[in-house]
Amino acid sequence: MCSMFSRWNWVACGFYLVLNICSPDGGLVQSCGHIIPESPVLALGSNFTALCILNESCLDFGNIYASQIIWKIKNKLVPKEQYREINRTVSSVTFNDTSSLATPLTCNILADGQIEQNIYGITVTVGLAPEKPKNLSCIVHQESVLTYVMNCTWNPGRHTFLDTQFRLRHSWPEEIFPDCIPKDVNNSCTITDIQFFVNTEIWVEATNALGKAESDPLVVDPIDIVKPLSPQNVSVSSGVLPTVLQLCWVNWISDAVMMLKFNIRYRIVGETNWMEVPSEDTASTRTSFIVQGLRPYTEYAFSIRCMKEDGVGYWSDWSEEKTGMTTEAQPSKGPPIWRIIDTSHSPAFWTVHLLWKALKPFEANGVILQYEVTIRDKSSPSSPVKKYNVTSTNHTLQLREGTYEVTLVARNSVGSSPPSVLLIPASNSKAPVKNLRTLPKHDKLWVGWTAPNSYVLKYVIEWCLVSSSSDCIIEWQIALGGVQGVDLKGIKPFKCYLITVYPLYADGQGSGQSVKAYLKQDRPSKGPTVQTKKVGKAEAVLTWNHLTVEEQNGFIRNYTILYKTIDGNETVVTVDPSKTEYTLSSLTSDTLYTVRMMASTDNGSRTGPDFTFTTQKFGKGEIEAIVVPVCLAFLLIVLLGVLFCFNKRDLIKKHIWPIVPDPSKSNIAQWSPQVPAKHNFSSKDQTYPEGSFTDVSVVEIEADDKKSFSEQDLKPFDLLKKEKSTSEGHSSGIGGSSCMSSPRQSVSDSDEGDTTQNTSSTVQYSTVVLNGYRDQTPVQVFSRSESTQPLLDSEERSEDHAGGADSTAQRQQYFRQNGGQDETNTDRPCFERTKQITHANEGDLVGFVQLQISGQSSQPLGLGMEKNTQEAAVSNVLQTCTEGQTVRPETVEENPLSVDEMPKSYLPQTVRQGGYMPQ
Amino acid sequence: MAAAESPSAALRRRDLCSRGIRLAGKMRADVVDLLDAYVEQQGLDASASVAAMEGVPLAAVERWDEQTGTQRLLENLAAYRAFRTLLAQMLEEQREQLGEADAGLGRALAAVLLQVSAFAYHLEELLRLESRGIPGEEGDGPPPPPRLSLFEQKLRGLGVLRELAQWAVRSVRDLRQLGKPSSAAGTAPGLAESP
Repeated sequence: MCSMFSRWNWVACGFYLVLNICSPDGGLVQSCGHIIPESPVLALGSNFTALCILNESCLDFGNIYASQIIWKIKNKLVPKEQYREINRTVSSVTFNDTSSLATPLTCNILADGQIEQNIYGITVTVGLAPEKPKNLSCIVHQESVLTYVMNCTWNPGRHTFLDTQFRLRHSWPEEIFPDCIPKDVNNSCTITDIQFFVNTEIWVEATNALGKAESDPLVVDPIDIVKPLSPQNVSVSSGVLPTVLQLCWVNWISDAVMMLKFNIRYRIVGETNWMEVPSEDTASTRTSFIVQGLRPYTEYAFSIRCMKEDGVGYWSDWSEEKTGMTTEAQPSKGPPIWRIIDTSHSPAFWTVHLLWKALKPFEANGVILQYEVTIRDKSSPSSPVKKYNVTSTNHTLQLREGTYEVTLVARNSVGSSPPSVLLIPASNSKAPVKNLRTLPKHDKLWVGWTAPNSYVLKYVIEWCLVSSSSDCIIEWQIALGGVQGVDLKGIKPFKCYLITVYPLYADGQGSGQSVKAYLKQDRPSKGPTVQTKKVGKAEAVLTWNHLTVEEQNGFIRNYTILYKTIDGNETVVTVDPSKTEYTLSSLTSDTLYTVRMMASTDNGSRTGPDFTFTTQKFGKGEIEAIVVPVCLAFLLIVLLGVLFCFNKRDLIKKHIWPIVPDPSKSNIAQWSPQVPAKHNFSSKDQTYPEGSFTDVSVVEIEADDKKSFSEQDLKPFDLLKKEKSTSEGHSSGIGGSSCMSSPRQSVSDSDEGDTTQNTSSTVQYSTVVLNGYRDQTPVQVFSRSESTQPLLDSEERSEDHAGGADSTAQRQQYFRQNGGQDETNTDRPCFERTKQITHANEGDLVGFVQLQISGQSSQPLGLGMEKNTQEAAVSNVLQTCTEGQTVRPETVEENPLSVDEMPKSYLPQTVRQGGYMPQ
Repeated sequence: MAAAESPSAALRRRDLCSRGIRLAGKMRADVVDLLDAYVEQQGLDASASVAAMEGVPLAAVERWDEQTGTQRLLENLAAYRAFRTLLAQMLEEQREQLGEADAGLGRALAAVLLQVSAFAYHLEELLRLESRGIPGEEGDGPPPPPRLSLFEQKLRGLGVLRELAQWAVRSVRDLRQLGKPSSAAGTAPGLAESP
């Protein structure tokens, strides 16, 4: 029918098939086929063949055949190579390995090769058969006095991927007991109805869809695998002796079931290590035991366990701990005793602090009620023995310096301890220990030493925590003489300890040897704070304080100074830890430096804060080296300048303040032909009587201001004064200056220039000195006036007359005529001086001349006597040096006139007052 | 016979004897405990005397020391088989009376019952080692006891437990006698001991 209608036929066929699929057997619609086997459970890895069998009805109605069947696993098509068409209604599929199978496996049909319709599907379960359970073991636990349960465990083997049942079975030869089926687990089960003394066969069965497996049977009498309950109601009671305690307990398992043996362990309360009573002492059933060898007055904790007497089975758990305390006994040893002697008040009187340690509980054997201290003065055996009863562990005594024996006994309620004896010698003069050293050992600090050669009773090890803020609180302990090292407990890490070891001899005590030590070192907790003490140009002195001992955390091995400029490399300097100052050198001047300091221990370093400083621009003394010489040079220059100026003051004055001759002051003005020349020679009359100078005219040039002349300046003047006083003939006056021009050349050939210069500049008046010494021809000394002032008429005339050598000769002759009387007396000095001046120092002469002319300041420097002398000298010079000069007869005639007469005769009063004479 | 016994058989016999002794000892201890619980549970007077009842084997025996080993084993086996039946009956009655109200007493009865069965097994094994045939149990056991009142049931239970305790003591002695190396199942032991 389906083949008759091509399109509608397929639709109808599909509908028919669906109806068949949806219809269960006996239902409205029937399935077109089914698969055999139905929902199989397959072993993993095995092969499997399934058959899809089509219903005959479908063949007739749907026109479908086995050749059209396709197989699918889930939605994946099974390769057709695995198909096989058995007949027209049966198709098979074969899988060589069931591990490739999945659920569901469906049988489908391709109607006309196009529309796929599902015929049937099955669920395939793949898994493994159970393995044989292994390692079966059982323990019978006692749950109460009469209740025992047996717990058995086993190894269930591999995972089967299937629902596998395990059951624990046990049986007697003639009786099989109910199975034990584990709940929620597959490897253990507990049997409750256990009967002892019968060998019981125990085994495990594992069953699943793929098979069944049994473990090897375990044949055991359950009594041999019992883990009994631990003894109950343990009690501890002290015995008569202080070293025993009696334990009592209750066994929860009757002797009828099993005989027991025991383990008894005990420990001191507070300690962790257990001790055990020898097992052979507790190898039989019992309910009490006396534990011996215990410490007096010590609390012990006990615990007991038990097991079957023959050792077959399991130990019970340890019972709950019970404690008991032994009774007191007398102390087993005397307390360790030591002393600290304070001699700070007076060396002769000691404050002795006796210290002793409380006995350890196992030594005290009870409560120490008091200590008995006995002091025996060994220095004076006759002194009475002093006894003190003390309840604390120290006692302070005031003793004279000496040797004492201290005995200490501890008492409890039972008795006294053996005495502890401490000998306090007058001095610790015995040999000390050698090679004292320390070594950290975990949380203890080991102190070792080499024993002295002499026999040492014991050693006292003192130690204290070194602190910068508090005193060293001494702790101590005693070691027996045979040991050469002890472990110090309670030592804190990173703390400095001072450890001292004293050897105690039978007859004295050795001096203490000390060492500082750390249990553990760390890097310092802070770094040193560095600062500068002094900063120079190329060096800086750094200072710092040592770290406190609390900050050090270890031995400071070195300090490290790190300094650098802002942009420079850091320089590192290592400094000895004992130093607190260091000088950085080779620094750059006027540079900012940053310096910090690091303190190092064996375990690290710590750097302190940065400190900056700037080096100086100039070094020490540099400024002084520059400034002082400059100042000195300046002062020297100034001084030299002053001296120069002083020396050249006239010249300077001449340049700055040219002297303008005041005609009114001119002597020439006073020296008029009508009026006799002014004569201011106070001694003139004595030297030259008026009668002898009647033919000599003297011109005196008075200086208003002679203050600026010093004596030195006046020396040439003095010389000249002498010369004047001794010269036979001198001429002075304006007239002389012009008329003596020719002789001048013959006088100073060597200083012609100077002379010429002087002549042309400032010399306003000239003095002509003509000296002769005895029979020698006198040398003419000539000084020319450079005055620009117009000469007076008389001078002009004199100059005109004194133009040649003839006139000179005439003057000489004339002078001789008038002065020949004293010529022999005055001629020599005048000649010598004149000659000296002329050849040696013309400058002086010039100065002299100037002085003669304009020496206005000579007067203040000279004394009155000197002034008089000077004036007299000048007068003399003038008098003597006028010899040979052309002197007007009138002058000679007027010469006898005194100075007092001068104003009366000629000079108006205004001249004296500084006014100018009309010229 | 002992001389002809193989070492393994001798070992086995010694082991069975040892185990049987311990089992009998534990059984006695458990029965004593059970007796206390039973008296208390049933409201009986512990000092009440119970007359001998039918079907309950008596431990007392005359000329115990003259018995042979096999005889001892056979008497023990017969007795414990009887106790097994009696205890099973008591357990049934107990369950009927108290239900699950006193499971502890029931468990204790069941435990003693198991021990009795185990001891009977030991005896059978020993008899096998003696190469003796094991007597078969007589049908379904002893004839069912006449229907008793509840109080009579309690008294009978008390009597059963007391007698079982006695038997446990006797069995220990019997097995010790059998366990001695010189002992022979067919020879009478010395006269020194008596139950």
